[in-house]
Amino acid sequence: MNKKKLATVWLGGCSGCHMSLLDIDERILDVAKLADIVKSPVVDGKEMPPVDIALVEGAITSDEHYREILHIRKQAKTLIAFGDCAVMTNVTGMRNYFHLKDVFDTAYRNAISNDQEGKVPDHPSLLKLNEKVVPLQEVVKVDFVIPGCPPDADAIFYVLFEFLHDRFPNLSKAKKLKYG
Amino acid sequence: MNTIPVIINDKKLDVDPGKTILEVCRENDIEMLTMCHLKGVMDIGACRLCLVEVEGANKLMSACTTRVNANMIVRTATDKIKRYQRITTELFFAERNHVCSVCVANGKCELQQLGYKVELDHIRYPHLFPQCEVDTSHPWYVMDHNRCIMCTRCVRVCTEVEGAHNWDVMNRGHQVRIISDFNTPWGESITCTSCGKCLHACPTGAIWPKAIVQGQLEKKPEMLSELMEKRKMKL
Repeated sequence: MNKKKLATVWLGGCSGCHMSLLDIDERILDVAKLADIVKSPVVDGKEMPPVDIALVEGAITSDEHYREILHIRKQAKTLIAFGDCAVMTNVTGMRNYFHLKDVFDTAYRNAISNDQEGKVPDHPSLLKLNEKVVPLQEVVKVDFVIPGCPPDADAIFYVLFEFLHDRFPNLSKAKKLKYG
Repeated sequence: MNTIPVIINDKKLDVDPGKTILEVCRENDIEMLTMCHLKGVMDIGACRLCLVEVEGANKLMSACTTRVNANMIVRTATDKIKRYQRITTELFFAERNHVCSVCVANGKCELQQLGYKVELDHIRYPHLFPQCEVDTSHPWYVMDHNRCIMCTRCVRVCTEVEGAHNWDVMNRGHQVRIISDFNTPWGESITCTSCGKCLHACPTGAIWPKAIVQGQLEKKPEMLSELMEKRKMKL
């Protein structure tokens, strides 16, 4: 059997979902038997190659994330929204209640810990935040979602294991559905 | 007492007249989803989760506000009803700002439980992300409008059980809000007795005590129902 290719991506999230992925502990060896992890924040790699499964953590917050998710959609056969931020924006989306300018002012101008200048970083190499944070499904077609903040390691392993065996998981039937 | 025959989900039942479809279903272990219903206080049919199909009626009826009739034929779990329940639940999540991971009620929230029951894993509608107030003016309790689903259980409990009527409702549509007195800060209320019944009635993390941190909230809505039962008893 050909080994599948697996990628995990970190967009607008806190990386907690990736921590939870590592929490599958020694079961990662079972995953490694069935798939090669070709791109992930925990492995070296630049451009995202074509993959069978992409786990995408985090919401779309900026122009960079937007380009990235379109690229991932092209490269991945199965795109999985990984965690509450990717599924329903969660904490990342809490800035959506305010205008982006107020968000920047709060972080860089009015915060007590700031220096006197209160300058908002605007280096050309930095990503540009969108006015609103959106979940993955508002930008691309998402094939499966694993909600949870973070998702339980059991739920992550269950979903990966099912997809790696060409089965379609059902979190609700498996009693692994959880948010928060 | 005379009973009347009704058929619920193809099962014939003999029930007491005057009861609501919801009461009959609960007594007969037929699972019904509800949010705004709280046993002991008036039903208002606000959450639309207990909608049932009644043969002969041209629309879905809310089981909590519809009384049983003789020979009524009711269906509670058709595909149409399940689809509507899922849509209703998604709209609850999309309307205000339900961020489970930072909520005091995380893990003990009736809205979360509802989501699991209707197998909701994502929300198909765009979130509205309204700017909602958090009223922390009360010395012990917090009212967080971000997490309110407008079930109005707090309003009814405050009025019918405590008799204070601190809570009420203002505006319509997505502007609708729970208000304290005449839309003044809760801490300045001249009617609130600080009894805390509203926070036990609240199904989500909208009303909670300040002494509690994330995921630590314990609510006892059944205590309120029991209280109403005890009052009915002639001691």
